[in-house]
Amino acid sequence: MRVGVLGIGKTPHKIQHEKSLRDLVVEAGRKALDDAGVGPSDIQALYVGNVGSVGFNFENSTGLMSAHHLGVVPAAAVRVEAACGTGAWALHLGCVAILSGLYDTVMVLGAEKMNDLATVEGTSIIAQAADSKEEYFSGLTFPSGVALTARKYMQVYGLTEEDLAHTSVKNHHYGARNPYAHLRFECTVEEVMRSAKVADPLKLYEVCPMTDAGSALVLCREEILRAQPERPQVYVTATQMATGTWYAATDTLEDAHALLARPAQRAYAMAGIGPDDIDVAEIYNSFAIQEPLGVEALGFAPQGEGWKGAADGSTWIDGKVAVNLSGGLLCKGHPLGATGSTQAVDIVEQLRGIAPEGMQRPDAAIGISACRGGPGAVGAIHIYQRLEGEA
Amino acid sequence: MTVSAIEFSRLGPPKLRLYAMRCDACATLSPWWEHNHCYKCGGGSLHEEELSGGGELVNYTVVYYPPRDFLGQEPYVVGHIEMDEGVLMPAPIVGVAPEDVAVGTRVKATLRRMKLGHEGDIYYSQKFVVDAPDAPAAD
Repeated sequence: MRVGVLGIGKTPHKIQHEKSLRDLVVEAGRKALDDAGVGPSDIQALYVGNVGSVGFNFENSTGLMSAHHLGVVPAAAVRVEAACGTGAWALHLGCVAILSGLYDTVMVLGAEKMNDLATVEGTSIIAQAADSKEEYFSGLTFPSGVALTARKYMQVYGLTEEDLAHTSVKNHHYGARNPYAHLRFECTVEEVMRSAKVADPLKLYEVCPMTDAGSALVLCREEILRAQPERPQVYVTATQMATGTWYAATDTLEDAHALLARPAQRAYAMAGIGPDDIDVAEIYNSFAIQEPLGVEALGFAPQGEGWKGAADGSTWIDGKVAVNLSGGLLCKGHPLGATGSTQAVDIVEQLRGIAPEGMQRPDAAIGISACRGGPGAVGAIHIYQRLEGEA
Repeated sequence: MTVSAIEFSRLGPPKLRLYAMRCDACATLSPWWEHNHCYKCGGGSLHEEELSGGGELVNYTVVYYPPRDFLGQEPYVVGHIEMDEGVLMPAPIVGVAPEDVAVGTRVKATLRRMKLGHEGDIYYSQKFVVDAPDAPAAD
């Protein structure tokens, strides 16, 4: 499959009290339109990823609201929701729409406005993305649910908390260089270890912040991008989605692995490539432990060894595969519905060679994004390739 | 974790009693919420089975940032308890300081106030205490 990436755009990722949800939608959407060189009337369908506007913003029909404010009416528009996999699901639907032949040009947009409420309210809303009715009645939250996975992983593979802390050090090294990131500072293993406890064994620097942001892509049929050779020839070459366990209590480490490994294997087959071909990866890491889980699921390291790349350099910018050169969710933050679309935008920037200084992998030509959510319930994989001069 | 008073009238009994669901096809014991579908074999027929209340703590975390309904209880411990019947249950562990909690500890269920609802209602459910001869009484 080849779906052209005609345009990309994103807002800063941070607390933005001066902007509403619709402001974020319009800012990200207009940037993508401008970058694509098209107008709102060229968009035939709009897929808006948004997780929690009902709770965070007391408004619901985000897809329809976005269509109005972006000026794409009367195009088709819908809101997409799949927990933290939401933005990736919007991208999936956009790709499927183009591949179906029904549309020539569509927009995929993710947006979340999380900071109108206090942390305790936000925590409660986020917990609703997992099983808030039954399992989380026990007082679990998203961070504490994932903390249980972290402790299990550490027990089984014999990791110390210091071993895991390298993941945050790497993400913060690059996050400090990303002008769009929420947390822009470097840190050491010692500082990670000293940061406040959030959900034992996870500490503050191993947990993403709540962030306001939007990001968008304009997608098109392959022929449309081919006809504009002056534009960067970046295509989505695989899109694969999966579901996994809804309840963390029955989620084994094998389940947590399979959630991304299954769609990743299908995506590699779809693109006709393998893990060794990947230059850059954006791997979901709202909590540090999820980066090694993703590194392993994508085939970059054996199970139980995915954490080592951040410690030995093999997942840094000049390593075997560069993972989360954007700073990951740990630094960009996790604007729920926008996270998957921002991963896509960040990979496209890498393949276009326009990532900020200190973040650009030289000659990056093939990238992959992996998004998970629920936290074990949704897995999403996309592969992107720069295909200059190919017919 | 937010449930309305009306919803709790539906969910209440399972949260007060301690039981799991046995698959009629493959005999796998699942947590109490699996009343539609056996996650092991896909069987659609399960029946309730009472649990004795004893188990072993196999995993835990300490929650420092609680959801609204648990405000005031932090920091609190939530663990995965491997019940003696062989099913995993998530539940708060009480009566022990977070730094003294250890994987492998024997625990037993006790009915406690779980949290305060935002409609002013009080929710009761199963918490767990350390099950040791010299442990404090479970009430």
